[in-house]
Amino acid sequence: MSHTILPTVLRSALLAAGVAAGADSAIAQDATAPGGGGGGGIQRERSFPAIASGKWTGKRLRDGQPDIQGQWSNTIANHNNWTDPQGGVPGDPNPRAIPKTSRAERAPSRVSDPPDGQVPFQPWARAVQQDLLANFHNPTRPEYVEPLARCAPAGVPKSFTWHGFEIRQYPGIVLILFNSGSRLIYIDGRPHLPESIKLWNADSRGHWEGNTLIVDVTNNNAKARFARTGEFASDKVHIEERYVFDNGGQRFNYVATITDPTVYTRSWTATIPVRRYTEKDEPDGWHYEVEVANTKDGHLQHEHPERICVENNGPFGQVAVAPPKKK
Amino acid sequence: MQHRSVLSGLVASIAFASLAVGSQALAKEKIPRLPNGKPDFSGIWQTTSAADYDLEPHSTRSDAPPSAGIVEGGVIPYLPAALEQKKRNFAARETEDPRLKCWTLGTPRGIYYPEPFQVLQRETDVTIVFQFGYSVRTLWTNDTLHPKVTDNELYLGDSRGHWEGDTLVVDVTDFNEDTWLDRAGNFHSPKLHVIEKWRFLDENTIDYQATLEDPNVFSRPWNIGVILHRHREKNFQLIENYCYTRDFDQYYPVPAKE
Repeated sequence: MSHTILPTVLRSALLAAGVAAGADSAIAQDATAPGGGGGGGIQRERSFPAIASGKWTGKRLRDGQPDIQGQWSNTIANHNNWTDPQGGVPGDPNPRAIPKTSRAERAPSRVSDPPDGQVPFQPWARAVQQDLLANFHNPTRPEYVEPLARCAPAGVPKSFTWHGFEIRQYPGIVLILFNSGSRLIYIDGRPHLPESIKLWNADSRGHWEGNTLIVDVTNNNAKARFARTGEFASDKVHIEERYVFDNGGQRFNYVATITDPTVYTRSWTATIPVRRYTEKDEPDGWHYEVEVANTKDGHLQHEHPERICVENNGPFGQVAVAPPKKK
Repeated sequence: MQHRSVLSGLVASIAFASLAVGSQALAKEKIPRLPNGKPDFSGIWQTTSAADYDLEPHSTRSDAPPSAGIVEGGVIPYLPAALEQKKRNFAARETEDPRLKCWTLGTPRGIYYPEPFQVLQRETDVTIVFQFGYSVRTLWTNDTLHPKVTDNELYLGDSRGHWEGDTLVVDVTDFNEDTWLDRAGNFHSPKLHVIEKWRFLDENTIDYQATLEDPNVFSRPWNIGVILHRHREKNFQLIENYCYTRDFDQYYPVPAKE
């Protein structure tokens, strides 16, 4: 597309392939730049407002859905760390990737319930998570490679912490285009797929209640993890997502209740704050990876180029393996 | 685009030829439309043709059923050196076809590949989600032009559409060279330029025509056409086919407690 796409692609690559490449440190450094979490790089906030479920008073589409189309991205951090989102990946060999801030100065855990901010793992599952984390920086077995580093879809819910994403709406359908993978959410009342079908991005059935899109997520193959820190679910997991939009249309909070009796001692809740991006924002190569469209009258309009994971992952195999050859 | 005038002529002749199909007046009243009156191709579509096996006419063989192909005139007009490359591709097709690695199929191959794709349409754009690889293509119908700078990075190309009556005409450029046109090794270079024409024959059938030109590979523009059928099975949906994960998905997920 344009000359700016390559840096975007490469940057994603560095993030995606961080495990293998050590390229990760550039971002970690960026993310913890001056003052640590919440101040620099992609980390835009250390705290965020609650948004109450209630009436939708904003714009609607022709089928009556609240119009929430456009570009969005989480405000806190990438997928380095699930429960200390601005804390980097524990054990990072790059000393500059370790934040200088105290825990209290960084954004809260994405686990909003239980109150201790920890995933309520059963003991065996906690041991597995700790093993995945301990082997993250130097994966000695294939299963230690975080699957997103192979360009796999980031899955539910991690996709919301991996670059910006775009929502497009149609009668009966909400489509979310993520940096790695897409989700078609049917809101027409149809049943889920047969239980035996398991998918990276699961099977989504939604409906609107006022300002809140409620999505029932099943058929998850649970191959995607929640973060580089190794949190996971099994393919028995059931997720109820609530996308609670503010009536100004500028933010939503993603609130997911995650239930899996085979892995956790109780259901728990994840909360991810999200803000809108528009032409008023500068493209930044992570949250807002748009290009300037070639408009006939020259007015500023942004568009997102095709999302195909090509980067720095040659040996692993993905939709598009080899980085395009430059002419 | 120095071949534009030649192409325009070809495209016009395709359009004229396809007028012969069906009862235009009747179909026109029944086709779904967006609020702005443009045809609404939303739905899940698939070809029943054998085009993906080999665009050109071929007898039955171990890896393909027989087919008259979908190339107008029957032969892809390769330049001599490109024809040699095509022959090498054909010989190596059982290992070198990018589809075997589940790479993004490209344009137009994604359209006639034998898996469903979903069209989601707004007045400003047409989004295509392909079940194979779950890749996503946007055809912009918002009066924007191709980017001023192109760098041959795109698998699906840069697609800019406009309406000519009830026909969606899409100009597609800026490809990379990592896609094939079919399983038989037919190929293109980054100079590929595709002009697609999408038109309803009736509310459940699309006439898809494309003109391909590539000065590095073909001696002249050439045309293909397939019919796309709407999936009407109850609750039919795409099932994400991230087949490129097959090489490594055995390592995931974490095994559940015994």
